[in-house]
Amino acid sequence: MAHQLIELKDISKSFQREQTIIAALSPVNLAVRREEFVAFVGPSGCGKSTILNMVAGLLPPTTGQLSYDGAPVRDLNRRVGYMTQKDTLLPWRNVADNIGAPLELACHKTGKTGRMDKIRQMVELVGLKGFEKHFPGELSGGMRRRVALARMLIYDPETLLMDEPFGALDAQLKLVMHDEIQRIVSLGHKTVLFVTHDLSEAIALADRVVVFSSRPGQIKIVRDIDLPRPRDVFRIRFSPRFTELHEELWDELKDEVKKGTDT
Amino acid sequence: MSAQPRDPGAAAAVAVAVMSAAASRTGASESARSVFLHPVGRAAAQIAIVLAMLVLWQFGSGTLFPRVWVSSPSAIFARLVQWFSSGSIWGHMAATVSAAAIGYVLGAAAGVATGLLLGLSRKAEQILSPFVIALYSLPKVALAPFFVIFLGIGIESKIALVAVTVYFLLLYNTLDGLRDLDRGWADAYRLMGANDREIVRNVMLPGIMPWIFSGLRIGVRYAFTAAVLGELLAGNQGIGYLIESSAGQFNSSGIFAGVFILVVCSVVATEVISRAEKFVLHWRN
Ligand SMILES: Nc1ncnc2c1ncn2[C@@H]1O[C@H](COP(=O)(O)OP(=O)(O)O)[C@@H](O)[C@H]1O
Ligand SMILES: [Mg+2]
Repeated sequence: MAHQLIELKDISKSFQREQTIIAALSPVNLAVRREEFVAFVGPSGCGKSTILNMVAGLLPPTTGQLSYDGAPVRDLNRRVGYMTQKDTLLPWRNVADNIGAPLELACHKTGKTGRMDKIRQMVELVGLKGFEKHFPGELSGGMRRRVALARMLIYDPETLLMDEPFGALDAQLKLVMHDEIQRIVSLGHKTVLFVTHDLSEAIALADRVVVFSSRPGQIKIVRDIDLPRPRDVFRIRFSPRFTELHEELWDELKDEVKKGTDT
Repeated sequence: MSAQPRDPGAAAAVAVAVMSAAASRTGASESARSVFLHPVGRAAAQIAIVLAMLVLWQFGSGTLFPRVWVSSPSAIFARLVQWFSSGSIWGHMAATVSAAAIGYVLGAAAGVATGLLLGLSRKAEQILSPFVIALYSLPKVALAPFFVIFLGIGIESKIALVAVTVYFLLLYNTLDGLRDLDRGWADAYRLMGANDREIVRNVMLPGIMPWIFSGLRIGVRYAFTAAVLGELLAGNQGIGYLIESSAGQFNSSGIFAGVFILVVCSVVATEVISRAEKFVLHWRN
């Protein structure tokens, strides 16, 4: 059988803080197919970001095997683009230069005019026209997220890791971004791991939704989202199937969210 | 040594503190306060304070305070006029400023380079960090006699003393800057495919610029202090030498005139660095 693109086998993670060891993630098993869109939902601190860090190769798992495209992830995994939860925009670069940063590197070297064109496309895609010369310190949280998104998309990585990309956006803009992401993912044949607190967003975008239980995180349920594609993200919320899936997953999620607030 | 080495930065700071304390006291009533908050009003108040101090100094000298210690503004002014009209001051200024400037540039460049080397190479850091820590607490000016013995009383020993002081300042600032860099920046660049050189160029160097500039700004004071200290200790040229020889002749107006020139040099140099900082770090405003 052909291997899956991303495979987590009994992956767990604990962190040592001084003398105490904090279990962040209980052993987790998950396989993600090529061109699959998988969304993670779950209470804060259940290890969602930790999983993305491990897939990116920024953090080694404590136990288990993690492989990408059949090979164990040992070092940085440069086949993924990673939009981290806390943005890593360079404060001394303006919006255009932050977005174009990957194209200045030897490995994605693009001529100046090619780079300018791509930056312009990306700026338009994320709706930041007119803000090209602004510095990150002058932008709202939601605008910074969109700059980070554009910086990831501009060099066209095979797999996209997105950690709460649209949390700071207003509801309307969120839908516009969903529409764009869906288009980019299907046109570009991307594989996506997508962390969100917004269950509707997860259902609207994903092929599968993974619900995590509270810390130490564990997979509580994995649900296939059998809504047909392409989806009209602006209207899909009103479909009966969407409502059914939402109710079912919300029942799973709400217990965990409650537990999370108890501790 | 009959004259104390003076830290021109400290002298300026004291003057400013005195002015602002006086300014805030004068703003007792509401209307007075609003007048002094206005930039023109504030400048007027500051000038008034300086004038008042000069007047007190001028007329207190020889009556309230012994003239041989405090000199007087008019005597100091006369001394300055004499130095500049005879042209004798230029050689001394050139000696001090060039020792400070050359030492500053050499020390700063080497300090930043060493900081980057230690910050970027784990091996170098592990081997060298005990020395760096040990030298941290050493007051570098204590090395002055050592440099005089090895390099003589010429400009070389002053340059060396300045360079060593500024070197360590910039080394520690660079290391602090590297430690304080957001690790996420380098990780993000690495994931995008950057190699080590690209990370140094795009993340580390620009990221530590605020620390380097803060080191460079403080370094101006360090450089003048070290250069003048070297001249006070041993030398036949420079503003420090001028102060020292005035002191030897109980010529207090010469001491004050020398200090005045030092303050002016230091303030001008600091302003140049501050402008460069504003230009390079324009994204912070
Ligand atoms: N570098 C770290 N050091 C110590 N603890 C960490 C570290 N990173 C994450 N954790 C802990 O691991 C748990 C899971 O964190 P995280 O993956 O960020 O959760 P989530 O993204 O689901 O909110 C949290 O309890 C967090 O405090
Ligand atoms: Mg998280």
